[in-house]
Amino acid sequence: MKLYNVKLLTVTCEILAQKNVIDILSKHNITGYTTYEVEGNGARGLRGQGLKNEKNVKVEVIMQEKKLQDVVEEIARTLFTNFAVVLYVSDVGVIRTEKFV
Amino acid sequence: MDVLQLIQSNLLTPIVLFFLFGIIAARIKSDLKIPDAISEFLPIYLLAAIGLHGGIEMRNTGFEVMLLPMLIAIVLSLLFTLNHYQILRRLGKFNLFDSYALASTYGAVGAVTFSVGLSFLKNQGVTSEGYLAAILAVLEPVAFILAIFLTNIAVSKQIKAKKESLGKIKTESEFEMGISETKTNLKQVLHESITGKAIVILLGSIIIGYVIGEEGFSSISIVFDELFTGAIVIFLIEMGIIAGQRLDDIKKVGIFLTTFAIIMPTFNGIIGVLVATVLGLSLGGAVMFGLLLASASFIAAPAVLRHAIPQAKPSLYITSALGITFPYNIIVLLPIMFMVSSLVHSDEAIDLFYYLTQVLV
Repeated sequence: MKLYNVKLLTVTCEILAQKNVIDILSKHNITGYTTYEVEGNGARGLRGQGLKNEKNVKVEVIMQEKKLQDVVEEIARTLFTNFAVVLYVSDVGVIRTEKFV
Repeated sequence: MDVLQLIQSNLLTPIVLFFLFGIIAARIKSDLKIPDAISEFLPIYLLAAIGLHGGIEMRNTGFEVMLLPMLIAIVLSLLFTLNHYQILRRLGKFNLFDSYALASTYGAVGAVTFSVGLSFLKNQGVTSEGYLAAILAVLEPVAFILAIFLTNIAVSKQIKAKKESLGKIKTESEFEMGISETKTNLKQVLHESITGKAIVILLGSIIIGYVIGEEGFSSISIVFDELFTGAIVIFLIEMGIIAGQRLDDIKKVGIFLTTFAIIMPTFNGIIGVLVATVLGLSLGGAVMFGLLLASASFIAAPAVLRHAIPQAKPSLYITSALGITFPYNIIVLLPIMFMVSSLVHSDEAIDLFYYLTQVLV
């Protein structure tokens, strides 16, 4: 079966930045994403313990390469200074490319 | 009983002991932890119980009596927030964002502190006015709204100054820019805090309590009355663990903020007790009124401030509110306010009060 190349954007951030990330996605007409709660250690110390508002989430979004630059740029510009965010992009293959505009 | 004795006996109540136990458990790196679902459920339960009691009592007393105390509480909360800002910015040399975030954290109310206060009074055999639950609900967003508004004005001012220095024509005054910026922001904050679970469950329970009254409550009192203190105890284990995990961060908070986190609640709380006494609140009511003004928010604050003032460091306002002010409030300040309230509610004080009014009139 033929696989089409698309991009997977993974954003690990504090739970209170999740809404900002999703707002940016929907601004670029991306409605599909997956989130899950995660824990970990990083520049801002051990995260994911204690209060619900201090947990971390991982947001995964699949999109076409042409949109990726704008989305990544906006996340970097608006969230990097004030929030705990780690962002990376990987290549993935999907079957139904029309699902990921 | 003097203050020290009262603090000492307060130390040996289950609530405080379990809180301290939680801190120790965290310090020895135990894996003890209250399951997530339970620690999310307990604040909802506590607010429901507070709301039900408030609603039932408001049915007996009516709405009119609470209007003046509520108004005064809002005014005091706003004044205190401004006062905090000046102290933090001028004396503490914090940046604008941290100053406003901290000022509103300390101007806002703590629902957990409020619950502990209620059970402290229960322990002393004293009751308080039920409508204080309604004041708790109304006070929750007040300090945040003010701080967000002022932050936006200040930011607009900076942007304007920058634009002018670049030689661009000014179109709006900073005040207008601040207002338009705040409007978009405020709508979101207002919507979030009013539809937030804390206010929804609190107001909902007040209304239900008002409707069902004493008779209706008797069937559920075993859950919402008898279990109340026990539920706080379980929640305070979790609070103790979180506070214990943050003890190392207190070093980062610094001496100034640590002092602020102790002096400010004491000042606000005692003013609150005195004002409430003048307003005619009972001994217990005055303590709770003082506690409303003394408490700092550590559950609602991060959720609101992280969106509204993302530049402020959450490690500062959460650590100082939860790690310093909360333990201080429930262990030391509650007994102090109780003593102050008993003093001003004693017969001699009331005689003196009448005497003074006679002289003045």
